[in-house]
Amino acid sequence: MRNLYLSLLKYKDHLIFLIAITLSLSLLLKNDAPDVLLIRGKFSDYFSFISSPFAWVKSMTQLQEETQYLRDKNIQLTLEMEAMLMAKGENNDLRDLLLFKRESNLRLLAARVVNMGSSWNLSSITLDVGSNQGVKINQPVLVPEGVVGKTVVVGKTSTIVQIIKDGNYRLSVRILPSGNVGILQFITNDYCEVRELQKNSTISVGDKVVTSGFSRIYPENLPVGEVVEIVDDRGSFQTIAKVRIKPYVGALLNVFIVLEEIDEDS
Amino acid sequence: MYLLSLRRLMKIVNILLLAAFVFFIQFFLVDLLSLKTIRPDFLVIYIFYISLVFGKTPGVLIGFSLGLLSDLSGVGSLFGLAPLTLSATAYLSGFLHGKYERLLPYVFHSAWIVIIASHFLLISYFRFQTVFVSDPIAFLMRWFMSFSYTMLFFLIVQFFYPIKEASRAEIT
Repeated sequence: MRNLYLSLLKYKDHLIFLIAITLSLSLLLKNDAPDVLLIRGKFSDYFSFISSPFAWVKSMTQLQEETQYLRDKNIQLTLEMEAMLMAKGENNDLRDLLLFKRESNLRLLAARVVNMGSSWNLSSITLDVGSNQGVKINQPVLVPEGVVGKTVVVGKTSTIVQIIKDGNYRLSVRILPSGNVGILQFITNDYCEVRELQKNSTISVGDKVVTSGFSRIYPENLPVGEVVEIVDDRGSFQTIAKVRIKPYVGALLNVFIVLEEIDEDS
Repeated sequence: MYLLSLRRLMKIVNILLLAAFVFFIQFFLVDLLSLKTIRPDFLVIYIFYISLVFGKTPGVLIGFSLGLLSDLSGVGSLFGLAPLTLSATAYLSGFLHGKYERLLPYVFHSAWIVIIASHFLLISYFRFQTVFVSDPIAFLMRWFMSFSYTMLFFLIVQFFYPIKEASRAEIT
């Protein structure tokens, strides 16, 4: 017995190691045993409780970084949303243009605005089509909302359009339903005035203004705008109608050039 | 006799306090120091030093206890793996206890590096068995990265407490 005790004492290192290894291996082999899982679950609860204050401190330190990330993400998403809204707006405009072209009895040529014009003496826009596509001088340019202007300079692949906002632009128009005819000219912003109207003409606010058809350039009944004010000066022999033009000329992207009028009878 | 037992008790308390300290560092700071999935193992450094200074028995006992505690604190690892590897490391490191003067330096240093490398090889083998079968190169890379990362901290500790001093600490 004493010999056994002495030999155990002598080889205690190896014995303890053997016990440790045996216990470890038995734990490894019983990894999925319910008792082991239960013990691990209990200890996991304790350790998560102990680590909770440290986790809180850690989350606080990460908060600033996360806020910055969210700010960046917010800006990025806002920009994306703006781009999508712009795309939606453009899509709607193009749909309107397609519908207008389909329903119109005019032969229309679609064109993209490539320049808003930089000439000091002419309010103009430049289009990406020219004589190669059949464009000629003095052809009406319009969008579904109304007349935009007329072609004044035609190159092979580009065209300059004198727009309705130009100071020298004049347009023969008819006010509906009265049928009074006058000459439209631009005043300021989106407003024009129709002069040469008879004193006794019956015009009301909200009346539609269309092209008269007296001009060689514009076919009749192309939309122009609507009457917003009537100026009846006692000392004058004519009535002046203030008209708001519908197309927002400053932000045009696509327009139509009227190549010719299709005769529906033929 | 009384003084001797008091000194021994103080020594045990010191070892246990240091073990608790190392365990808490491992438990709380290891996440901050992890690089992707590679984490440093402070426990193996501590166990290695304990075995080197005090021999096999204290090393294996503390290694087994710390390993058990480590497995209980973590959910993902295989339960029983840490006690197994730490006990084995402690046992093997115990052979180097007081041997610095008797062995050639390159033999001594090669031995402890091989012991630490084996520790990580064993852990990697158990944890990444599927990787070992499917892609041995990836397995070896994982093993080498985890081993190297802990060795980095090992070298820092060695700067303050050199291994050769630890090996003859009990003798001197």
